Amino acid sequence: MKIHKKILTHYLSCTSPVDKEGYLYKKKERTSSYHKRWFVLKANILFYQERPADRHLLGVIILEGCAIQPCECDGGLYTFSVVFRGPGLKTYWLAADDQLVLDCWVKALLTASHCYLSLLVRDLGTQYEAEAKRQTGLGEVPQPSTVTVQNPKVLNQSCSSFIIHGPVRKEIGSHRASHVLQAPLMASKVTNKKSPKLWPKRNAHVTPINGPVSTHGEWPQVDFDPLEDFIKLHEYYGEEVKQVRADWLKRRQEEEKHLEEDLIDLSEH
Amino acid sequence: MRFNEKEMISLSRQPSEKTAELGMRGPKKGDVVKKRLVKLVVNFLFYFRTDEEEPQGALLLEQCRVEREDRQVFSVAFLDEGERKYLFECDSEEQCLEWMESIIQASYEVMRKNLIFYRTEIHRLTGKDPLEQYGIEDETRFQVTSGLPLIPKDN
Repeated sequence: MKIHKKILTHYLSCTSPVDKEGYLYKKKERTSSYHKRWFVLKANILFYQERPADRHLLGVIILEGCAIQPCECDGGLYTFSVVFRGPGLKTYWLAADDQLVLDCWVKALLTASHCYLSLLVRDLGTQYEAEAKRQTGLGEVPQPSTVTVQNPKVLNQSCSSFIIHGPVRKEIGSHRASHVLQAPLMASKVTNKKSPKLWPKRNAHVTPINGPVSTHGEWPQVDFDPLEDFIKLHEYYGEEVKQVRADWLKRRQEEEKHLEEDLIDLSEH
Repeated sequence: MRFNEKEMISLSRQPSEKTAELGMRGPKKGDVVKKRLVKLVVNFLFYFRTDEEEPQGALLLEQCRVEREDRQVFSVAFLDEGERKYLFECDSEEQCLEWMESIIQASYEVMRKNLIFYRTEIHRLTGKDPLEQYGIEDETRFQVTSGLPLIPKDN
């Protein structure tokens, strides 16, 4: 199957947002050795090459239909894998220098798929329409300039095959709080490594714009169909993130314990 | 350049609302129109030779321009050096317009822009950031950029 490499490399080098970049170690297939590679995550594609300045792209990983799994510490390396679900499909083994870097990458990769974004956009679109119509009383509300035809049927059915069936669906509205994905608490914000001059990078400013406080108080109860698939997807990913966070916290506690002991034994022996 | 080919082929087998036999012409001089089974899955356009299980190729639908060429014909142009243009011949004007719209909306970058619009608007209308409930409000990919047009299109 031809993948049209030039289209991919063009997408990599153009000014579309870089979602994450940095060094990771990639396990070479059929060996147990890890090689340091420069990774760039854009949309649902993970590009990798030897160094940031390289013109030669070593490869890409299209991140659809895969699970991101943090692994046990593998001989000093903090590993995780990109597991493609299906008979005969690959698993990519990646590793980071420390737990923090690993957690950051795992989190970024978890939200990378087109399916995920598609469901998120649908969810927010529905919320927006309901809220805007409620407030203005109009039948039609302004849409983003990129949306010309509202056609919910166009949503990719392919997403449904990637959803892991989770717990029974719950009520939306006030119960939304129970689905909150606890983001792993980072000790400090991870700063991206210096971006290569090759790719002009846009600045990510914190959002959103502080709007006026709503006069009607609580989040309105909106009667729309619960997005079963999306909630399940979130819970599924949420479990992984919670696990990553729990492991990280556990490791931190262990490290702190070790720090209390003397590093070097200076006693006579 | 390596890529996860088997996984892509598996992806191309996923059900898609947008699957049709179209006349497809490649970008090179001398390329002729050939009947291909064209299938839109996520932000890739897969195309299959008739009755073949594995796709012949996959086009990433990012950084491309979709244009109407004729009543029933549209093109997808990829904006790297040389601007390669692929032509697609449909069976009807309706099919042509539907495909154009679907391809545009399939782009990850377009979806991202939509998300940022909805996020900002919901926050403006309600005072709450809708991404907080999912714990993803700090994700780089969902941030509002300065300079991004947030003015809604007037209907």
